[in-house]
Amino acid sequence: MANLKQLAAKEDLLTGGHRACAGCAAPIIVRQVLLAAEHPVVVGSATGCLEVTTTLFPYTAWKVPFIHNAFENSAATVSGVEAAYQSLKRQGKYDKEVRFIAFGGDGGTYDIGLQSLSGAMERGHQMLYICYDNHAYMNTGIQRSSATPLGAHTTTSPAGKVIPGKKQYRKDLTAIMVAHNIPYVAQTSVSHWRDLVTKVKKALDTPGPTFINVLSPCRLGWGFKPEDTIELAREAVENCFWPLYEVENGVYKLTYKPKEKKPVVDWLKKQTRFRHLFKPGNEELLAKVQEYIDTEWEKLLQKCGVE
Amino acid sequence: MKDQVELVSGNRAVARGALDAGCRMYFGYPITPQTEIAEYMSMVLPEMNGVFLQAESELAAINMVYGAAGAGRRVMTTSSSPGISLMMEGLSYLSTAELPCVIVNVMRGGPGLGNISPAQGDYFQAVKGGGHGDYRTPVLAPWSVQESYDLTRTAFDLADRWRNPVFILLDGLLGTMMEPLRAREPIPERAAPSWATTGMFAREPGDRAPRSIYTLHMPEGALTEVNRRLQAKYQEITREEVRYDEHFTEDAEVVVVAYGSVARSALQAVRIARQQGRKAGLFRPVTLWPFPEEALGSLSEKVEKILVAEMSSGQMLEDVRLAAAPSCKIDFLGAMGGELIYPGTILARLLEE
Repeated sequence: MANLKQLAAKEDLLTGGHRACAGCAAPIIVRQVLLAAEHPVVVGSATGCLEVTTTLFPYTAWKVPFIHNAFENSAATVSGVEAAYQSLKRQGKYDKEVRFIAFGGDGGTYDIGLQSLSGAMERGHQMLYICYDNHAYMNTGIQRSSATPLGAHTTTSPAGKVIPGKKQYRKDLTAIMVAHNIPYVAQTSVSHWRDLVTKVKKALDTPGPTFINVLSPCRLGWGFKPEDTIELAREAVENCFWPLYEVENGVYKLTYKPKEKKPVVDWLKKQTRFRHLFKPGNEELLAKVQEYIDTEWEKLLQKCGVE
Repeated sequence: MKDQVELVSGNRAVARGALDAGCRMYFGYPITPQTEIAEYMSMVLPEMNGVFLQAESELAAINMVYGAAGAGRRVMTTSSSPGISLMMEGLSYLSTAELPCVIVNVMRGGPGLGNISPAQGDYFQAVKGGGHGDYRTPVLAPWSVQESYDLTRTAFDLADRWRNPVFILLDGLLGTMMEPLRAREPIPERAAPSWATTGMFAREPGDRAPRSIYTLHMPEGALTEVNRRLQAKYQEITREEVRYDEHFTEDAEVVVVAYGSVARSALQAVRIARQQGRKAGLFRPVTLWPFPEEALGSLSEKVEKILVAEMSSGQMLEDVRLAAAPSCKIDFLGAMGGELIYPGTILARLLEE
């Protein structure tokens, strides 16, 4: 595992000058992912903030081969690329070692792209799928997704007289990927570079399909100052909203355990999407948010065999 | 309150038109430039005890429409070009099952992901089919915010009258620009029609038999019969539902044929051309299907030239060619990739000899 100094010496494969918002976590995640790769990579991306902001015609921020397809098709497209590569290899027409990475946001992964992701994982393509999870459809202006947390305000789960923000809990996509019995599944955060880079390297070295879910705070959709992105991600790990763990051949391992599990309210207070939860009448909902985190955390500790 | 004039966008006008037509069921999915419709519906429908449901994909949204329409409710979905492509399977099924619903396409630049600028490249998809099989859907093309509201209300009536999905084609310009809107008296949601699958267990004597909705017709001749019935219906729609609009065509030597926002540029160009001594006119199809063939056909016998202006490589152009008299010269002005057609460009072509 390279240290920070060695990683910093490597060439960034996603250049600056892309049009992501100031404080966007997605390009930081991509740069960390590409720094971790030790082989040439081919990248596929679904429609979303990442694709839109990095490929403004006639420019591209990608210094690696890049293929885009519609919102629901990232995993299917990279399946096709990888199948073509394997075929060329079998025919002896190509002999280089190449890695395939598919990117999608939570909209393109949890919702519309789940079918093609599931298919790709089950068929066993040599592919790493990375979801940058920013909790909503940010590209079209902050609509709820099945990754949006309970109680969050979005433009299609607006907090008002009738509903107090999103009424449903988040879908546990990482668990769904574990249920595919693929060799490597992990959850990591943009705030923990070593954890992220180690997991990406492990995934790329694993034969078969792999999946990593990365927490990607969105300053616009969550409502915080651009300079606080990494801090917001770190706090989500510290309060166990977003635990860091991996599942290797079915075996759970917690890769980071907070010294002291912080209450979630401090984190919620820093984001305008949860502002309404602190108005009188929403105490019960606020308690449910904490309760859900506690339950999920306990379940995870059990799976990881941690006291 | 209903006499008030409000300043709203075309997107908002569509949503308002649907609500005022008694639609309380909306299924959708975010895509620019029409997400505002979903956002507005998510704000107001819960307060009206209606249903706003954000699907996990456009494919799911159109099939939720299928379900709600089958249950006999007035229902709408809205999207923009790439999302409408995903709905095409549902369109074919809805048409064959003869389920009334309204589908709005706020068109953007294509093909592929294209861009989010205004375009009219989905004419073929809406007018000629798009999904599989021999089906047709009425297509309404408003050219203003007011008409976006009015034709959305009309669309629900047409859908019910003909038990058929109805398309509304807007473009990104009409959807996002703001104009005065005068809303009309809202009507309550109508009762479920006699064919709706409204729930029946046939347990008690006198209970009617349960109804079913399906589109598989395997016995010999059955599918032919279904198609005959559908085609007869489409012919009737063609006879009864043609809508169009004419400006300065009485004495025109040259006529622009345009729909949607391009027709607005065209009308301005026609007015200026007339000031400069060129007898120009505008013919605006309001229903793209059924296409106003007869009206345009007879007009084409009186004019020297028709100029078709549309934000595509020439899709409506084909229908104009089919309708126009062989003696009439047909010229074309197109724009692709989300570029607008400005009055000056049309004017220059009108002043050409």
